[in-house]
Amino acid sequence: MNHTLNITANNEASVVERLLQVTRYRGYQLAGLELTPMAEKAGLSITLTVSSDKPIHLLTSQLHKLYDVRDLQLASADIAALRA
Amino acid sequence: MNGAELVLKVLQQHGVDTIFGYPGGAIMPIYDAIYASPVKHYLCRHEQGGAFSAIGYARSSGKVGVCLATSGPGATNLITSLADAMLDSVPLVAITGQVSQAVMGTDAFQEIDVLGLSLSVTKHSFMVRSADELAATLNEAFAIARSGRPGPVLVDIPKDVQLAAAAEPDNAATPQSRALNTSLAQSAQARQLIAKANKPMAYIGGGVHMAGAMPQLQDFLAQCLMPSVTTLKGMGSVAKDNPYYLGMLGMHGTQAANIAVQQCDLLICLGARFDDRVTGNLKKFAPNAKVIHVDIDPAEINKVRFAEVSFLGDMRQILPAIASSTDCSDWLAHCSNLKQQHGWRYDHPGERIYAPLMLKQLSERMPDNSVVCCDVGQHQMWVAQHMRFSHPRNHLSSGGLGTMGFGLPAAIGAKLARPQDTVIAVSGDGSFMMNVQELGTIKRFRLPVKIVIIDNQRLGMVKQWQQLFFNERYSETDLSDNPDFVALAAAFAIPGHSITRKDEVESALEAMFTWPGPYLLHVRIDEKDNVWPLVPPGAANEDMIMETN
Ligand SMILES: Cc1ncc(C[n+]2csc(CCOP(=O)(O)OP(=O)(O)O)c2C)c(N)n1
Ligand SMILES: [Mg+2]
Repeated sequence: MNHTLNITANNEASVVERLLQVTRYRGYQLAGLELTPMAEKAGLSITLTVSSDKPIHLLTSQLHKLYDVRDLQLASADIAALRA
Repeated sequence: MNGAELVLKVLQQHGVDTIFGYPGGAIMPIYDAIYASPVKHYLCRHEQGGAFSAIGYARSSGKVGVCLATSGPGATNLITSLADAMLDSVPLVAITGQVSQAVMGTDAFQEIDVLGLSLSVTKHSFMVRSADELAATLNEAFAIARSGRPGPVLVDIPKDVQLAAAAEPDNAATPQSRALNTSLAQSAQARQLIAKANKPMAYIGGGVHMAGAMPQLQDFLAQCLMPSVTTLKGMGSVAKDNPYYLGMLGMHGTQAANIAVQQCDLLICLGARFDDRVTGNLKKFAPNAKVIHVDIDPAEINKVRFAEVSFLGDMRQILPAIASSTDCSDWLAHCSNLKQQHGWRYDHPGERIYAPLMLKQLSERMPDNSVVCCDVGQHQMWVAQHMRFSHPRNHLSSGGLGTMGFGLPAAIGAKLARPQDTVIAVSGDGSFMMNVQELGTIKRFRLPVKIVIIDNQRLGMVKQWQQLFFNERYSETDLSDNPDFVALAAAFAIPGHSITRKDEVESALEAMFTWPGPYLLHVRIDEKDNVWPLVPPGAANEDMIMETN
């Protein structure tokens, strides 16, 4: 199943690597990645799409812990699917 | 001042007076600053050893440990220790020198991508780009290392940043520890579960003492009156005289602990994480239990075992909020029966030393509040089974990573953190050789560390598995050509003694403890002795196997 995460992160050189490392290590496949630097110092806006049979909370809880991750939301379609 | 001097200044502001490390090209400016600094540097003989000493220092004292290494090979030598600190949640700040920014990215001499290497073995890692960021970054590193679930933080500092002019750091810039949000929303539900449980059980991990919640735990166990078990890292959390404490659970846990956990109907997991060495076959673990999980790390909740009720935050607030009286006298009686019925036995035929008994004697003979640092293998499990600790900070064992070579350098760190307390390294003949070079550190600083080597001339734990699960095919686990350990110690001016017979144990322990300096006691045991009980891989915890030979 595909999940889309909307992430706001500090615009640090290593932040994308960190996201990808955790994603791989926790057993999720990368299905899409988009990043847009926000205005000066405001950070990076990242859309991360992953696929896995594992429940998505096992990934989001780990990504949330990353020091450079400021905000992380499951896309609303995902939330609706989880509730269904 | 320059960046290097600023580093030392900021360490002092954080109350750091002891650091461990090893110099080299890319960190020379910091070593130059150490030369004139009141911060005391302990030269290790391998960066892995230095970082383990910092871990031993941190774990025995509750302070943040600090270690240093140069770029390239110095930094790569730290990796195992960072991983160890990561898996055992140890607050550690590791500072590495890096080549100058002008040559970074060119495969310069001793340049390696340390930040990249560190990603999976640190809580966070920083690369400092300018001397202006240095103080704030170091402050942040300390805050991250000790906040929430503690862990290792790496700060990589290029040589040009160390040499650049820096402004005197702001005195007030000591770190703000992050506020903990503790939600007690589900406490009524938890109290109800506890009050209604027929067979409640507290499962206690290292998170309780790290939260400073030892007094709250004793109150909780008194108020809720329920049996308890601990993990390897939680050992020493429950008062020794608590009649309903059943010991360690898991692969080499006590029978009483494992049987009772399998039977309980409510498992209250306090600062522990359902590690596979604890649960055995996860699907069969505590099959009838509802779970209340208390932790500080959100990622541990529902990671491997669903919790009916969970709490995140400060254990010191949560424990009193969920305490409730229980009504389970039959269960308590049953558990103390299990404890009686399955007590340890120390009868062992023949003259040869039986390590479990010898460690029990060591435990009874050692001064109160001694710190025991273990290595990894059978001797580590025997220490956990047969020695008693009054506080988890007195039992340092590499739990999550299970790193051979941990014990000796950790003991060095513990001795420096707690010079008044006796520190004992209990090592195996295999593990001891993994950081044996740290005898040089003991020699230089005349550190009165007591070293006990349990020598079975084998990589015993691996040999045990070969015996049980690989048809006795003893592939590469024979160490019968071990060095003469007493002579080895003597080369570092450390006296020692070798024993082989039961009747030598008492006087040998006496000699070791009365000697004022470092001492090595070499204890030769039978290679056939194994660790029991054992939950075989894939089995449920009630299916322990007992002594078979
Ligand atoms: C660095 C490292 N390498 C390998 C292992 C795998 N391992 C676990 S226990 C063990 C044997 C340890 O031998 P020894 O220190 O003599 O202890 P014993 O089991 O004999 O008491 C080995 C090789 C490990 N835990 N750590
Ligand atoms: Mg051995």
